[in-house]
Amino acid sequence: MEQKTDRKYGLRAGICAMILIILWMIATDTYKKLPGFYEDVIKIGVFSDSYWEVQNGYAYQILDDAIAQFEERHPGVRVEYVSGIMKEDYSEWLSEEIVKGTEPDVFFVLGEHFNDFAEAGALKDLTHLIEEDEEFDEEKYYVSAYEYGSYEGTQYALPYECAPKLMFVNKSILMAEGIDMPKSDWTWEDFYRICREVTRDTDGNGTIDQFGTVGYTWEDAFESNSVSLFNEKGTECYLTDQKAGAAIAFVERLESLNSGYSVSSREFALGNVVFQPMLFSEYRAYRSYPLSIKKYTGFEWDCLTMPAGPDGANISRLDTLTIAMSASTVHTRQAWELMKFLTGDVGIQSEIFDYSEGVSVLKEVVESERIRRVFTESPDTGNWLSLPVLSQAVERAVVIPRFHDYDDAVAEVDRAVRTILDSNSNISMETIIQNRNINSYLKSKQ
Amino acid sequence: MDKNRFPEWVLGTMKNLNMVIILYLTIVTSYSLSGYIQEHSAMDFLLRAKRITTVPWKIPILAVGLYVCLLLLLSIHCKNNIRFLIKTAAELSVAFFLSVTLNFSYTGIVLLIIADTMSYFSDMKRRIILLAAICAVYMMLDYDLLSVQYPIISMEVYWEYFQRDVQSILLGVRNILNSLNTLVFIIYAIVLILAEVSEKERIQGLNEKLHATNEELKEANRKLEEYARESEKAAETRERNRLAREIHDTLGHSLTGIITGIDACVMLVDIAPEATKAQLKAIANVARQGVKDVRRSVKALRPDALESLDLKHALIQMMEETKRSTSVDIAYEIETKLKGFDKDEEDVIYRIVQESITNAIRHGKADHIEVRIDRNFNMLQIHVKDNGTGCGKIEKGFGLHHMEERLSMLHGTLSYNGDDGFTVDAQIPIRWGTEEEND
Repeated sequence: MEQKTDRKYGLRAGICAMILIILWMIATDTYKKLPGFYEDVIKIGVFSDSYWEVQNGYAYQILDDAIAQFEERHPGVRVEYVSGIMKEDYSEWLSEEIVKGTEPDVFFVLGEHFNDFAEAGALKDLTHLIEEDEEFDEEKYYVSAYEYGSYEGTQYALPYECAPKLMFVNKSILMAEGIDMPKSDWTWEDFYRICREVTRDTDGNGTIDQFGTVGYTWEDAFESNSVSLFNEKGTECYLTDQKAGAAIAFVERLESLNSGYSVSSREFALGNVVFQPMLFSEYRAYRSYPLSIKKYTGFEWDCLTMPAGPDGANISRLDTLTIAMSASTVHTRQAWELMKFLTGDVGIQSEIFDYSEGVSVLKEVVESERIRRVFTESPDTGNWLSLPVLSQAVERAVVIPRFHDYDDAVAEVDRAVRTILDSNSNISMETIIQNRNINSYLKSKQ
Repeated sequence: MDKNRFPEWVLGTMKNLNMVIILYLTIVTSYSLSGYIQEHSAMDFLLRAKRITTVPWKIPILAVGLYVCLLLLLSIHCKNNIRFLIKTAAELSVAFFLSVTLNFSYTGIVLLIIADTMSYFSDMKRRIILLAAICAVYMMLDYDLLSVQYPIISMEVYWEYFQRDVQSILLGVRNILNSLNTLVFIIYAIVLILAEVSEKERIQGLNEKLHATNEELKEANRKLEEYARESEKAAETRERNRLAREIHDTLGHSLTGIITGIDACVMLVDIAPEATKAQLKAIANVARQGVKDVRRSVKALRPDALESLDLKHALIQMMEETKRSTSVDIAYEIETKLKGFDKDEEDVIYRIVQESITNAIRHGKADHIEVRIDRNFNMLQIHVKDNGTGCGKIEKGFGLHHMEERLSMLHGTLSYNGDDGFTVDAQIPIRWGTEEEND
């Protein structure tokens, strides 16, 4: 009798163990590796328009080429993507797929949502893959671009393409004014001096019609003066930092040169402004737009790194598009190979200069002979892009924090800086008040 | 309903209620997740949750699967202490994973484990230690406590998908179910304690009964001892009677034969000295037989003839010897095989025949005796008739009285008649099992 109940209980314990194993397989997606569930298809999540907000008609060109080459090198593996998802819907689409558990194995991550996905655990920690892969060499990427794929010290993504901010210079005005082209290690003071010298009324009608700069914001000033505005999680603002104060004061000085005249970027296109900071992608977009082809043809221009602040260097921000792997993919190995291929293959990365507006994340590609030829053979005769400047700008760029609602927080700081600049009272006093406001705003967002 | 099964029934209700709660929570959660997807607000959800969730369809499957596991574990009863601890640990881990699946929004499952564990121990100390341990786990599984340390998505974040009024109804139902579970748990605890109290009372009642029965038993034992003493005395008396009977039967018989033989010798000695010599030899044989009988009586109080011979031959030998020693003509007829009798029966049959013959010779002065033994159905009949003087008024000497006594032990009857000579008729019922030996 006892033996019989023992056997009965043993059976129950056995069934229990079996159910637990099945549940474990369901919970961890291990069941997807079983025959009958396994699919040898790698899915890529991608959006249909350019990351740089430019419609160029080559949306999937690079990806299609990459897939064709990848499939050729890895027979038996099929790579698929869903086309037609717009960039503005992309993160929502990706979130839905993640919630549904059907997210692609490899997907592009928009900069503004990288931290959210990383924090939520949707992205695979690449540390082990990087360590175990002897072929992989993180040195070949630009450090700043590579850093862009890390969150709280862990690498979750690889950079795909990037765009640094550069200072575009109207050389014609400088020549007319008899001013030398600044060197790439120029400072705020050089910048201010040139602006002061060129800001004047050229036709003598009483209004200023030649300006020093347009679009140079407090953000540019902060970046080049090594100000970290927020902590990484976006819970605190450091506006009262002394370096930030210096930057705000510098922007105020620059603005005061225009005597209240508000300069628009159209003035730069018209050739009336010496300096305009621009993302490299914006420049590429203008350059390739048929309608804007004559936009900058009335003058000669060049590009430079951003001027360095007293506590900073000639650095600017870098916007990077990264590729990450799904945390729950069952094709880890192949997905990793694909990620490496997309980000690290010279051929594929070179195509970025042909079909996209960004810059390759590989030093080797940016500094290659072929790219140099592409840029020097450009139709904009006489206008050239200094490749060392581009490479240096990318290399030394800062990675700005990308916490959720970063744009809102920046808007808040922008409003605060405006208030500080507009107020007649003591700057540091006003800064403390504004900093407190922003911090309470950030807390309210938690 | 059986009163003793009531706690079990409450536990069953609790199990069903937990199943309902788990289904409710997981289905609502899974529905709200699908809702987020359908309404294209999955990004908002992820931003608020800050965690990847379990895929909607998996939530109910995992939860129900784990719950089934828990029920299976609960249905296992362990007597062994180590196995019991392993079982409880397994139950708690399953409950933990179930809580994870339910985002720690529901901890009532642990109450179920506590309820099940409570039924195990009657030992208060051990019960309290174990319950305290489980309660600690119970408290640690609480969302508010855990969410400080670990990122958990609150159930509310999921349920924010619903309109505020719907959300309040859903949360209300959840709270009601939760309270109901706690209530059932409390009822279970009370019922269990009551059942235990009544069980103790029942045991006490049984104990009292046992005590009373014990007293009765002692009394009966005392009576029995008294009876045994009386019985011993009776046995002693009976044995004394039996000995007297034996002496009368054996020695009396032999001596009667010897006396009769010597009387005959006295008459014959002058007329026929040779015959007298033969007669004396026969008498000597009887005397020897008498001595043997006495010895046997002393030894086993059993006729020696019966020791070495079967009943029939013992009877024949006895009658032939009597014939030879007393010159009384004994005509015997034994119709039946006389086999398969028990020793006591054999003794009685032998003694009756022997006694009747002795009586016929001693008291009736008979010189012809007819002996017939036969069977009428399952009744053995012994018929002894002599041609002696008989007697008008029968005085029961030792002989007849003993015969009657012996027969009554076998439920037999004795009848006698002294009108024409003396006739003795004995009827003995044959016991079961001796029949097959008879024809």
